[in-house]
Amino acid sequence: MSVTTSSTLDAKGSPMWSSGHGHDVISTKTLGFWLYMLSDAMMFTALFAAYAVLGHAFNAAGGPWVRAVAHAGVAFQETYWLFGSVLAYGLAMMALKKGNRGGVLLGIAAALVIALGFLAVDGREVLDLFRMGALPERSGFLSAFFTLVFYHGLHVVVGIAWMAVMLVQVASVGLTEKVVYRLLNLRLFWHFQAVMWVFMFTFLYLRGAIV
Amino acid sequence: MLVHIDGPWSPLLGRLALSEIPYNNPILVGTFVFAALLAVILVGLVTYLGLWRTIWRDWLTSVDHKKIGIMYILIGLVMLFRGFMDAVMMRAQQAMADGPHSAGYMDSPHGYLTPYHFDQIYTAHGTIMILFAATPLLVGIMNILVPLQIGARDMAYPYLNAVSLWLTAAGAALVMASLFIGDFAHAGWFGIVPVMELPYSPGVGVDYWMWAFQLSSIGTTLGGINLLATIVKMRAPGMTWGRLPIFTWASLSANLISLSTFPVLSVALALLALDRYLGTHFYTAGLGGNLMLYNDLFWIWGHPEVYFVILPAFGMISEIIPTFSEKPLFGYLGMVLASLGIAGVSWGVWLHHFFTMAASPAVNAFFSITTMAVGIPTGVKVFNWAFTMFRGRLRFELPMMWASAALFYLLVGGLTGMMNAFTTNDYMVHNSVFVVAHFHMMLLLIVYAIFGGVNYWFPKVFGFRLEQRFGKIFFWLFTAGTAVVFIPMFTLGFMGMTRRLAYVAFPQWRPLLDIEVVGIVIYLLSAVFLVAQLYVSFRDRAQNRAGLDAWETSRSLEWMTHSPVPFYNFAVTPEVHARDERAWRVEHGVDTVRPERYEDIHMPRNTAIPLWLGALSFGLAFGLVWRMWWLTEVCGLAIFALIVIRSFDRDTDYTIPAADIERMERAIRDVPSGRPVVAGVRGAVPAFRQGV
Amino acid sequence: MLDPRGVISVTQDHYLALDVLIMLLIIVPTGIFIVWAMRHYRRDGGRGRHDARWDHSYALEALVWGIPILTVGVLSYYSVKAIYAVNPYHPTIMARATHAKGPLDIDVISTDWQWVFIYPQQGIATVNRLVIPKGVPVHFRLTSATVVNDFYIPQLVGMIDVMPAMRVRQTLLASRTGTYEGYSANFSGAGFSWMNFETQAVSRSAFRAWVARVQGAPTHLSYTAFDQVAQPTINIHGRVAYFSQVQPGLFRHVVAQTAAGKTYPTPMAMTENMTRYLKAQARRDAHNRD
Repeated sequence: MSVTTSSTLDAKGSPMWSSGHGHDVISTKTLGFWLYMLSDAMMFTALFAAYAVLGHAFNAAGGPWVRAVAHAGVAFQETYWLFGSVLAYGLAMMALKKGNRGGVLLGIAAALVIALGFLAVDGREVLDLFRMGALPERSGFLSAFFTLVFYHGLHVVVGIAWMAVMLVQVASVGLTEKVVYRLLNLRLFWHFQAVMWVFMFTFLYLRGAIV
Repeated sequence: MLVHIDGPWSPLLGRLALSEIPYNNPILVGTFVFAALLAVILVGLVTYLGLWRTIWRDWLTSVDHKKIGIMYILIGLVMLFRGFMDAVMMRAQQAMADGPHSAGYMDSPHGYLTPYHFDQIYTAHGTIMILFAATPLLVGIMNILVPLQIGARDMAYPYLNAVSLWLTAAGAALVMASLFIGDFAHAGWFGIVPVMELPYSPGVGVDYWMWAFQLSSIGTTLGGINLLATIVKMRAPGMTWGRLPIFTWASLSANLISLSTFPVLSVALALLALDRYLGTHFYTAGLGGNLMLYNDLFWIWGHPEVYFVILPAFGMISEIIPTFSEKPLFGYLGMVLASLGIAGVSWGVWLHHFFTMAASPAVNAFFSITTMAVGIPTGVKVFNWAFTMFRGRLRFELPMMWASAALFYLLVGGLTGMMNAFTTNDYMVHNSVFVVAHFHMMLLLIVYAIFGGVNYWFPKVFGFRLEQRFGKIFFWLFTAGTAVVFIPMFTLGFMGMTRRLAYVAFPQWRPLLDIEVVGIVIYLLSAVFLVAQLYVSFRDRAQNRAGLDAWETSRSLEWMTHSPVPFYNFAVTPEVHARDERAWRVEHGVDTVRPERYEDIHMPRNTAIPLWLGALSFGLAFGLVWRMWWLTEVCGLAIFALIVIRSFDRDTDYTIPAADIERMERAIRDVPSGRPVVAGVRGAVPAFRQGV
Repeated sequence: MLDPRGVISVTQDHYLALDVLIMLLIIVPTGIFIVWAMRHYRRDGGRGRHDARWDHSYALEALVWGIPILTVGVLSYYSVKAIYAVNPYHPTIMARATHAKGPLDIDVISTDWQWVFIYPQQGIATVNRLVIPKGVPVHFRLTSATVVNDFYIPQLVGMIDVMPAMRVRQTLLASRTGTYEGYSANFSGAGFSWMNFETQAVSRSAFRAWVARVQGAPTHLSYTAFDQVAQPTINIHGRVAYFSQVQPGLFRHVVAQTAAGKTYPTPMAMTENMTRYLKAQARRDAHNRD
């Protein structure tokens, strides 16, 4: 009876310390990132739940409520910025498939710039609300509203920082295995925040147009 | 936007001032002197033995899952001791401060602790026991065992594993720091809003509690991701889902819980932080806040957390009982389904923590039924363990004693749990010490499983068995202490005594409270025998050396490699043929086969970055607690910088050549020892099941 | 708690006994089986036959799953029934009992750390003392001026959360006269351990006499007087106060002002030195009396 098994080299990458039957680095790292996103989705879920609980008129405590702070028009504009950035990142991934380093750099740079555009629009909108007197400490409703806006914004900021780092890594190191799995995870992350934006748009901003 | 707090504040030290150091409290000064002496002795010893280099190179910077597991367990043990001392102080206070005529000492109207101090002690006790004792102990055990049980070389992400460890350590350090610098929260381990809001808790205690919890929460979430990915991705060839050892299944279920619920805890705590730092209104009573939101978010984590700690305990019991019954686990599939079932149901029961909030009967009925439904998979487990012993050949060695005693705790805990799940009973006992006694039964079950597990797997990790004579005395004294403390506590619960009383208004409860003190003294005494057991075991380690299989009837994969396990776990990755692989190999006579050839092994390299990340997180949290903004900013930026720097590090792993493996393996085999490395099997051929 | 003196608590105890009985029916045989198996199959001296391959049996596994499912089913049925029976808003158990006299209304406000009881029908109020007539259903409306407490009189009624800016209801009926201990069951801060109120269930005529006596008390409970009462107070000496008049709408006023963000902050001094705080409290009380 043979008890040995060799640690095989998988077609896609080098063997991990698991050895065994062809786990490759990229698929293991990607699984982990999916799991991380699941936990992040739970955080969004909890924040949305908080918003649902604190979303009633009396939670505004006499201060501005949904209609006054959730502007679907601006959010619609923001959607274009955000999805434009995701599209640019998608193009970078197309280039990655072809092994086109220049294309990857170009796509990520474009995605980064467009994401900055989103932040600019988002930031101006928030500042306008603040100037109007709609501050997070005004009422439970506004606390929940702004926390969601800022939590999503935080994801965009992290995404931008990550893209900046990846630009340097792609440029300096090239498309090595480590760089590639990070690019793929960033793709997941970037799509994830866009999906979350869809929920934000529906439950925060469209609600403002309807209520 | 920052909330203004009355009182002194300086840019350099924030709210921290000399008056925050409790140098005038004899209890804390005594504790400090004790801790300082211990630290001096330890540092002196390490320096004398010249161990600094080893500690740094082999432990603090290690990414080895076994060493990380051991460090987790060490944190858990230290905190267990701290939490236990808190329990002693609480018992003493309640026995002293009983009735309007009881004497008061040290600024306290009754007893020797002021209410505010007493409140901090029970908060610390709960927080520490759940989050910094039970959780690290179990995460540590999972860390050690899961990769071994599935035939992996390490976790899927060894670096992340170290990060989780050091985040937990930072949280524990924060709790310890609160002892000597400032104070701790007073609103219970689960936090009560709006007591935790600034108007009712203006001090730094809640901030300490909140950030320590948060660090531990993040650490455990990352650990959960790691263990899940490890189980999914790192199994050895042939280790199909149907052959997965039951402890690994339990770990999988537990970490599904941690992955899905710890983020909710993080949100619950983060919103509290926003309330306390930025003046938002999430949990305030007024201005549109909703305090029930906190209870919901917290307990959506809080109850699953209970199952997060109990599932690995069940898993350990499920491994120990078959080994000492010399037969396979009864109803493997049922056990797996029950574990997953408990994980699933855990999500739907949180509201029973506030049955008394005057919700509509339909709501209470729903949660009453879901809570009782937990009894189904749990009941299945008890029956399956009973039937595992049925037709077995039982050896009551120390691990088996702990594991089988745990069954009786489950019976008592189950009975009282069903009483609490029955909503109208809960109206009567909801915040009484009856509930306290109930969940201590469940947590003691975990403690029993942990002691059983530690005795069981100790030889695998350290290469020698624990001494049994002192161990048995410890077991019996510990059990006696439990009975003497908790039987009166159940009784007091029925008499209507509520939790968290710094002062007990009714002198007629005094005798029972005194009996509880006797019980805690028995506990204290038992700890002496634990220390004796560890000391004697260490002294006689040469005689108690263990072979591959320390118990000779063990069944799963971890018993197929050397004890102690070499850092690469298995010289060659094993191929798995059956559910109880070791039992299968013994039956087929292939447990001594040596590999035909060795291969290169790919391993992760040690790194100090996780340690720095932990230290910086501590600094970040400490800065936040005292509102030293510069410290928070510096640490935050440094954490970000370290993460980026690490991503540029290309030298994160290395390869051990096959020749080196062969040499190390030969060295291990050639160590002279009292016993053959591969032990035979006592009695009949063990059975196994092929699995799917 | 095991000596119930009220309709609600009697019902609760009845279901408690039922629950325990059903659980014991399962747990005692299981415990006995485990102990028997541990003895019978022990390696040294046990008589049981060892079967190293036996790990599965469809019949037993059906039993293993069936028993808990059945038990939980039965218990769930009784649990739901019990919940409706003592539902604080519409206890069916109280509806079934007939009463000649209409219910007595009492508004309860918990402060840090005292209990204010307002009798709107009688126009009186008490602090830290609850007096109720025997055999008359008492309807409570409860709220808190500060943090969450639990209203609990073990021998009469189970716990209910008393929450700020919210109103809950509770109902009880004392079937025998006597003095019962009531207290807060939910931790609410430093004075929590002293948050007790004596509950006296008296005959109807004695209750009328008591009301008349309180109506002669010199002090009134206005909105501002309530503000004084609600200052953080550790009721370490078990003080009781009576008010002969209550400003109308006080209960709703407290709910509304709490919802509008009013708090009664815990002083920083309390978090540092208890003795110093108690002295300050005594000074304040003396000042208020003058």
